[in-house]
Formats: sequence, structure tokens, C-alpha cells
Amino acid sequence: MEPVISVVNLVQHRGKKPVLGGVSFEVAAGERFGVFGAGGAGKTTLLHSVAGIEQIRSGTVIVLGCDVRRSEAFKKDTGLVTEERSLFLDLNAAENLDFFSILKNAPGESAGRLCQRLELGAYLGIRADELDGGVFQRLSLACALLGGPRLLILDDPIRDIDLESRQILINELNRYSSAGGACIWSFSDIGCRRLVDRVGWLANGAMNIYLPDQAIQEWERWRQQVETGGGVGRS
Amino acid sequence: MSLQQMTLLRREVLTIWRDRSLRYILLFGALIAVLLFLAIYSAQVIKAIPTAIVDLDHSNTSLELTSYIRNTENLQVIAYPQSFEDLEDLIRQGGVVTGIVIPENYGRDIALGRQTRLLAIIDGSNMIYATNASSAILTIARTIAAEAGIKTLVGHGVQYSDAQAAYQTIDFQEEPWYNPALNYAYFLVLALALNIWQQCCILSACMTVAGETGRASWLQIRAAGFSRLRLFACKAVVQVVAFVLVALPVYLLAGMVFSIPMRCGFLALLLFTALFAVSLQSVGTLMSSLARNAVDASRFGMIIALPSFVLSGYTWPLEAMPRWLQLLARVFPQTWFFQGLNYLTFKNPGWDFMSRYFLALLAIACVCYSVAAVAISHNSYRVRRAGS
Repeated sequence: MEPVISVVNLVQHRGKKPVLGGVSFEVAAGERFGVFGAGGAGKTTLLHSVAGIEQIRSGTVIVLGCDVRRSEAFKKDTGLVTEERSLFLDLNAAENLDFFSILKNAPGESAGRLCQRLELGAYLGIRADELDGGVFQRLSLACALLGGPRLLILDDPIRDIDLESRQILINELNRYSSAGGACIWSFSDIGCRRLVDRVGWLANGAMNIYLPDQAIQEWERWRQQVETGGGVGRS
Repeated sequence: MSLQQMTLLRREVLTIWRDRSLRYILLFGALIAVLLFLAIYSAQVIKAIPTAIVDLDHSNTSLELTSYIRNTENLQVIAYPQSFEDLEDLIRQGGVVTGIVIPENYGRDIALGRQTRLLAIIDGSNMIYATNASSAILTIARTIAAEAGIKTLVGHGVQYSDAQAAYQTIDFQEEPWYNPALNYAYFLVLALALNIWQQCCILSACMTVAGETGRASWLQIRAAGFSRLRLFACKAVVQVVAFVLVALPVYLLAGMVFSIPMRCGFLALLLFTALFAVSLQSVGTLMSSLARNAVDASRFGMIIALPSFVLSGYTWPLEAMPRWLQLLARVFPQTWFFQGLNYLTFKNPGWDFMSRYFLALLAIACVCYSVAAVAISHNSYRVRRAGS
């Protein structure tokens, strides 16, 4: 079966500084692939490259069968939730949902269903810039899910949000995955490893891939190494 | 029009409306400007120019002349200094703008038919006052010179009617056309108000691209694969309509309430303004597409919007500028608009003449939009980076 995402030897720079130095991985349909790393490790750059937002410097990124450098056709089947507030802040929640529905050609009732599941009913008339972090991310996920994407790109979506919103988001993502949707999900809290099937650990421009349990063992090993002054090779 | 385009248009309307400062600037900027300029130029012409007379002669003839000057329309005699030095002090301190010095023996020289010399001093530090004072003094000089000449001829035995006829051989008539009273309000109010309007427009147009790409929501637009050109085209349409709607009350107020001349008619003026709004929007979009961020875009807008009116040749003739500056001025739509505005409002010279102004605005818009489209395509990966 063709992978949903296939990244081969991706190199990205920020200015003159290399951020990704030849990263390769694949994500299968229905899989949740976690991208873990410290701040500045290149998680957002990697996700933006997959989303077709960032220009590819070198390497190949194939998403849903499209080379992102040559085609944007895959974008109609993807949804994006970013770490920063990337909805239309001058629009209220309902207007954001309407706007995304029309631009993604999503049927009207899907917005209603998503609103219900993500418990957004009470916030529809509130401007996006006035929403709390958790509610904002619930709305972001609702917008990303409009149109039934086959791939979700999530950039640390549950960082620093309230527990209730966090659980609502996780429930909805479980539902999405169980329906066969693929997901690439970055996080900087190793605790989130449980929410993904595999963890791609980004450090020094390279990616090592672990199963979640292996990832925590590696984390513990690395942490002890840092605490005993044995080097910071994974920073 | 597709539902998507309607949605983009609606969103742009909401964006403008919900940006409180932009909304107030667009709604009230030009309107307040027209009211302000109408108040400033409400006198319409400069009368009662503060004048001083130094009479060094104190004869009946000099008193007659003083009385004559006092009764003229545009000079208001407010001081009678005793000496030339006193007059100098008065002008230096801004007490008067004009001083007329009547020399000693003025009455005697006139009576003997000798040449005499009056001195008119004008404070040139204020050009508006100086020009008007100069014109008023010239009128007085003509009259008193003629009267003195007639008296001299009569003194030589010529009949009064013959002497008068001799001085009226050449009847030099002045007829200011299109603005007979040389009304400053007619000339300046609408243009100055529209200058404020164009500045507001260009500054908001400069946010077309940079305002969008500088927001985090640009990530969603990029990720969704929307057509950037379609997005910016929709934004441009909304902005142009908003610009014209903002100009509408300015014209209504100026034309209908304050009777500022609009010889070409309201619709022609509105069409010309709409085309100017398109070209302004195109310049703003171009600046915005070349700018690295919204702050840069604003700076570019300021660089164009602020000097463009002076450069347009409205207040100082283009022909009096250096050749290279004339060429540079013609690159800006403001030059074509303000020159065209003057023709349309005062003269209405017809389509054959005005078509070059319409076409120039159209050409500027085409060039700017084309270059902006290339720049937008080239910079389409430009995104705000907040994460890693």
C-alpha cells in the first residue's frame, strides 16, 4: 500500500543554518507518526515541508502520491493545525468554520457535527482571537477536519492547553485515526509519545525513529547522560 | 461568481470593517479633510491685506492718495508709521504685509508734472500674501499713474476728455476664466481632500499582500492550496469599491453642499476616480508584494503617498520642474489624477483630451498588477516563522 507521506533525504535550511540534514521516513494510512524534538530542532520546518508551505531545498517529499514541489493537488485532502494561532482572528468561530467549509468545499452539515463533537457550540459567536488556547485548538481541529482530509498535520496541538480541551482533541483524533486517517503530529513533551504509533526524534538535523516505549527509554538514557554531565548530543 | 470568491470578498469586507482604525481612517479621513479644508479656505480670496502707509510728504495730494488706498478692496490700512525704519520694524514683526512709502515733495512734484517715485514694500516670506498684495498694489499703481498723467496733460492745456482718451487708447482687460474670482477654495479644497483620501487608500492597499502573508492565517491559506492570485484579486476588488465609496461623500459634500465646480458632471468624475482607485490599489499591491513584511509595506506606502501630491504638479507646475523629475512624476498615478481632476472640474475638455489621463491610469494599473502577480508567485513560499 502506498504510504500517505514519503520523505526521502529532506534537507532544509533556515537562512544559512541547516535545520534538517537529510531526513527520511514514511507514514502509512491510519498511522499516527510523532515528530519529537526540542525547540528549534526542526519540527515545524518538517511539518511545513510536508504541508507544502515551506519550499523544499533538497530531497523528496511525496504526500498522497503528489510530489509537493510539483503539485498542490494533495492539499485538498490535508488538514493543518498549527502551534500558533493560524485561524482568521478577525472572524468569529462560526465564520471561521463557514470560511473553511466553503474554501474546502465541505458539506455544511459536517461543520455542525464537528462543532458538536468538539463542543464548540457555546463559542460560535466569539472572535477567534478572544478564544482560550484550548477552545482555539478545538476550533482549529474542527477547521482542519472539514472536508474529510486523509492526512492531518498537527504542530504541537495540545501544548499548554486545558485538560478538558486536551481530552476532547485526543478523543476526536482517536476517532479520526480509527476511520483510517493518517496523522503527522509534532510535540515537545515526551509524554505525548503514548498518543502516536511511532516517534521520529529530531536532533541535530537528523531523525531516529522509535516505537513509543523505545522513545521513553531513549529519553531516560539521554536525560541521565545530560544530568551526569555526559554530553548533550540529543539537544 | 463562485461561492468561494463570494466568501473571499465577504471576508475582506469583514476584515476592513472589523479593523477599527482602518475603518475610521477610510470612513472619516477624507470627509474630515474636506470639511477642514473648506473651513480653512472659507474666505475664498485674500482680502484685507494688512498695510501700512508712511507719508513723508503730508500734503493734500498725499492725503488724497492715502484716502484712496484706504478705500481699495484688498488692502486694509492699519498703521501709519512715521518713518521708513518704523515700517521696516512693523514688517519684520509681522504687523503688516505691505508698506507704501509716499516720498517728500510728492504733492509738489505731481503739481509740477515731475516724475515722482512711490515705494511699495511687500513681505515676500508668505507667498500667498505677497502675490495678492502685489496684484492689489499693481491695480492701485495703474489708476494713480493714469490720474496723474491726465492731470499733467490738463496742466499743459489739453482738454480733460482728450487727456482721458489718450490714457485709454489701450484698454487692457483681464478675464480670469474657469475661476473668475480666483477662488482659492475652488482650486484647493477638493484636491487637498482627495490627497488625504489617496494617502489613506494607498496605505491600506499596501496591506493587500503583506497584511495577509504576515498573519499566521497565511499558513492555512498556503496549506489549503487556495489560489493566491484569486485571493488577492478578491481583496483588490473589495478595496477598490471601498475606496470609491469613501470618495463619494467627499464629492457630494464638495459639489452639492459647497458648490465647488465640477464641470464634467458627477458621473464622469466618479468614473475617473474609480479608475484612479484601481491604479492606487495596484501600486499598493505592488509595494505590498515587494515588501518583506507589513511594516516595510507601510513604509513603501508612505514614501509614495506623501510626496506624490506635491510631485503631481497640482500646486507647482510640472513644466517648471527639472525634466527628470517630470518623467518620474508621470510614473505615479497621482500625477495623472490630479492633473486630470483639474481639467475635469474646471474645464471639462472632452473625451479626446481626457482619454490620455484615463489610459495612463489604466496602464499604470496593468503594469503594477502584472509585476505584483510575478512577485506574489515568486514569493509564494514566504511564510511567517514562529515554530522550529
